[in-house]
Amino acid sequence: MAFKKTAATLAVTASLLSQAATAHAGELNLLTWEGYAPDASVKPFEAASGCKVTATYVGSNDDFAAKLAAGGGVYDIITPSLDTVPMMQLAGFTQPIDVAKVKDYDGIYPEFAKAEALVAKGRIWAVPMVWGSVSIIYRPDKVPAPDSIGVLFDPKYKGRISLWDDKSAIYWTARYLGYSNIFDLSDKQLDTIKAKLIEQKSLTRKYWTSAGELTELIANGEVYVSNAWTGLTSKEVNALKKGFSVAEVTPKERAEGWMDSMMLVTGSPNTECAYKFMSFMQSPAGQCGIAQSTGYFPVNPKAVGTCMDETTRQERKVGNIDFVKSLVMWQQPKRLDKYIEVWNAVKSAP
Amino acid sequence: MSFVTRRNAPAFLALFSGPFLWILVFMIIPYVVMISVSFWTRQFPLFVPDFQWGNYAKIVLDPQYATVVLRTLKIATIVTVVSSLLAYPVAYMLVFTIRSEALSNLLYMCVIVPLWVSYLLRAYTWKIILGTNGALNSLLISVGLIKEPLSIFLYNQTAMIITLVYIFIPFMIMPLYAVLKNIPRSLVEASEDLGVGPFHTFLRVILPLSMGGLVAGMTLTFCLSFGDFVAPVLVGGPDGTMVANLLQSQFGAALNWPLGSALATLVLLLVLVVLQVSSRFDRAGQIDLR
Repeated sequence: MAFKKTAATLAVTASLLSQAATAHAGELNLLTWEGYAPDASVKPFEAASGCKVTATYVGSNDDFAAKLAAGGGVYDIITPSLDTVPMMQLAGFTQPIDVAKVKDYDGIYPEFAKAEALVAKGRIWAVPMVWGSVSIIYRPDKVPAPDSIGVLFDPKYKGRISLWDDKSAIYWTARYLGYSNIFDLSDKQLDTIKAKLIEQKSLTRKYWTSAGELTELIANGEVYVSNAWTGLTSKEVNALKKGFSVAEVTPKERAEGWMDSMMLVTGSPNTECAYKFMSFMQSPAGQCGIAQSTGYFPVNPKAVGTCMDETTRQERKVGNIDFVKSLVMWQQPKRLDKYIEVWNAVKSAP
Repeated sequence: MSFVTRRNAPAFLALFSGPFLWILVFMIIPYVVMISVSFWTRQFPLFVPDFQWGNYAKIVLDPQYATVVLRTLKIATIVTVVSSLLAYPVAYMLVFTIRSEALSNLLYMCVIVPLWVSYLLRAYTWKIILGTNGALNSLLISVGLIKEPLSIFLYNQTAMIITLVYIFIPFMIMPLYAVLKNIPRSLVEASEDLGVGPFHTFLRVILPLSMGGLVAGMTLTFCLSFGDFVAPVLVGGPDGTMVANLLQSQFGAALNWPLGSALATLVLLLVLVVLQVSSRFDRAGQIDLR
């Protein structure tokens, strides 16, 4: 009996060991956004590359540093937005990219590939992946087509408004108040914004922390209007067919633009799989896969030529890099700490 | 009297070196680290070792921290009081009112069983109950009390209190049940024999004898709800931020571990004060039954 038990234990241990060994041969741990690792594109990648993909999701750009500062050895690739890339590099969390190892890197919009935020010390630190905007999502049956950020501050919708739980609430309020130096606001401007946001709290049902949460808030009839990652939440809510639909609009104070790119974590033991993944994300399967699962825009117009029809290409602004100019592209605020402090103060206020 | 003698030293070591190491590695060293980090300085993009009182000064001077600490104290106190008012009658009924041992045990199990289900799941359930299109609103509409669903149940402090009371009430009932069960029936009977009515028997005999359980339950409930961060996230509204959420954001988004550690140290001190106060009450409630 005792022998049998020992034998069984040995067998289990052996099988675990061999599993660990094969897993080590190729694994890839992503710290990324919801919708960025859909089965539809991860499965074919795993089959083609032999790299097992595990994805962990963040709710805001500030989560990347938080997770990596707590011991980043777990992740190989992170996908922060344009405004967070420089900080990752400065903190030493990531290593430079050898773009020669990324297939079809040349197909990426040069405006993105060579964006100022991705270059430091004469090296490239990030490979563009997908881009999009943050606009206003609303229920047309409850809120007649809004044209301004003012709708998020309108007492008419008291208790039915939501906002992203993120420092970008400051960017939105700044535009609403007519400030143009959004990423370099003065103390006085930040004080005005803080007061405005605290005043707005009584109108807010809940701040959302993930696309999934916003989807749930709208689908359950808790919220009628919010800012949202354009494409994702509207797609999810409308797919639920709750008897109402949602629409998105670019406010006259302009929408925000962002671009997420892949960065290689310092000390990652899986660089080979990481480069395979970066290459895959520039392929038609990678670009169309992520565009389909999120509703966002591809960064590699060459790649989507074969897998996207004409209408979708227009919707997703393929080849329409001018659209970027209509957006307020995110930048790292000059005084990031101050911005986060202001946002925390707003959340703490009564 | 010395517990360790030459003869039993090996046995003593064998028995206690494990627990001692555990306490050292998982309690004492982390506290030392936390307190040291609370004197460091945040320096973009991370933080650097230092010795300065700036973090503590910030917490004292910036009103946002006092607001949140007071709010947390308020909510934890309400949860503790409501839980004890609800839990005491339940425990009393289980021990004194229900004659059948089997039924009493079964009901006690019903109190405990929710603890086997994940906290997150139970908190989430309240969202479904309290929501605009939730169970409570459907019920009120179907019985004709209201015409339009009300949104006052969810995403506010009341929802947080309801959820926390529901989640932590077993921690109140368990110690109360244990002390009530240990009260010798002879004392209750003696009181009745001497012509004291049930109300005064409760007030003069049962309540004083159950103080230990009541204080233990209240302390547990208070500390657990004081440190909670899930209820504010799931069912709290924009005015629901509690101390644990602040801590989370300092170690997360703000990436200011020094400030977070200072805040955690102050919370630790506060909890120590609560424990001190409760042990006073506990001792006051101790009565020699011999």
